[in-house]
Amino acid sequence: MDVISSSIKTYNIWFEISGVEVGQHLYWQIGGLQIHAQVLITSWVVIAILLVSVNIAVRNPQTIPTDGQNLFEYILEFIRDLSKTQIGDEYGPWIPFIGTMFLFIFVSNWSGALLPWKIIELPHGELAAPTNDINTTVALALLTSVAYFYAGLSKKGLSYFEKYIKPTPILLPINILEDFTKPLSLSFRLFGNILADELVVVVLVSLVPLVIPIPVMLLGLFTSGIQALIFATLAAAYIGESMEGHH
Amino acid sequence: MASTVMATKPIALAKASPSLSPRKISIRAQAKPSSTSIPNLKSLTSKLLFSVPSIAMLAATPLPALAEMEKAGLFDFNLTLPIIAIEFLLLMVALDKLYFSPLGAFMDARDAKIRAELSEVKDTSAEVKELEEKAVAVMRAARAEIAAALSKMKKEMTAELEVKLAEEQARIELELAAAIDNLEKEKEEALRVLDAQIDALSEEIVRKVLPTT
Repeated sequence: MDVISSSIKTYNIWFEISGVEVGQHLYWQIGGLQIHAQVLITSWVVIAILLVSVNIAVRNPQTIPTDGQNLFEYILEFIRDLSKTQIGDEYGPWIPFIGTMFLFIFVSNWSGALLPWKIIELPHGELAAPTNDINTTVALALLTSVAYFYAGLSKKGLSYFEKYIKPTPILLPINILEDFTKPLSLSFRLFGNILADELVVVVLVSLVPLVIPIPVMLLGLFTSGIQALIFATLAAAYIGESMEGHH
Repeated sequence: MASTVMATKPIALAKASPSLSPRKISIRAQAKPSSTSIPNLKSLTSKLLFSVPSIAMLAATPLPALAEMEKAGLFDFNLTLPIIAIEFLLLMVALDKLYFSPLGAFMDARDAKIRAELSEVKDTSAEVKELEEKAVAVMRAARAEIAAALSKMKKEMTAELEVKLAEEQARIELELAAAIDNLEKEKEEALRVLDAQIDALSEEIVRKVLPTT
């Protein structure tokens, strides 16, 4: 009993130092419903960063662009190219959706990795990337689902549902299942990547705080950027897929 | 690593409360309000979607109590989901108005202008070639004119000179002829005079030589 209690005490000390707070959220209440406040706060910061930087850089467009304008022109061209490759010729109306998806996820992930959130102490839970919460990623994945349904239905009308029996009617259950696995995989891929990267970095920092976590943090920056790109590309691909077919 | 993390969690929670079971109940109570909330279609469908893998996870983990608490911690769906969705849609509209549309229109206009100028430049280079050829032709014509004029002048000059030459020659010949005539006349005169003198002389000589009888 003494041994167990002393080892429990040791474990407690380690827990205090490591401060891994997985699954701890700051709860707010609206009506009878709860909100993960830390996700909301960090998402507001991300939105503020996006809107302010866009406003500053794109205010007076010059024919020969300034540095900021050049960066945002590059980003816009990148998004246009991505949309055009995946969706095809009718990519114009979808640029805001795909672009916002890419920018929101990218800035969220990098803000979670780069900004010193731990400085602000919350009464419960901690601030981190808004995409480390299942609610955010599932929200984005569901929006993508709605988007590709909307794309297919607005282009083809009710004959959009013919795609479920397209190659052969035997594939009907698989096609229906696909409509569930698409948002599932999108959300879990992003959620797992970001949360796991945060966990790895936190655990490493709790063990060897000085130099060792840096390569892992750099890897985290790289993969979180890639995850933003993958999410946006897949969203565009699903939209393009549901819009293709007879024109 | 993960096992130590997972191991520390229940112990810390045990530290926070006297025993494990009240904590379990409180978390379940916490999870309950969101599940009996106002029917929210998205959260209902998402619960349907994710109940399958979460149930699978539950069955798989060896510590069901721990997994249940983890589920409340990690897979905690609540009002955050629609709020984030609404925030995303508002952000999309805002970015479209501030960034995608204006900058996109500006870039397209700039591209169109550059393309127009480029095609213009291509046309003017053809014009320039035309002008060059015209210039060369004009130069050639001018040179030919000059050459023709030169040769014409030369011819005229030589013709004039020849005329003058011929005139002078004729005059000289006339004068020569006149001079020769003069000389002839004088010669004849001289001969006549000489003849006369010769006659006189011969008579004198005869008189002087022959005796006067």
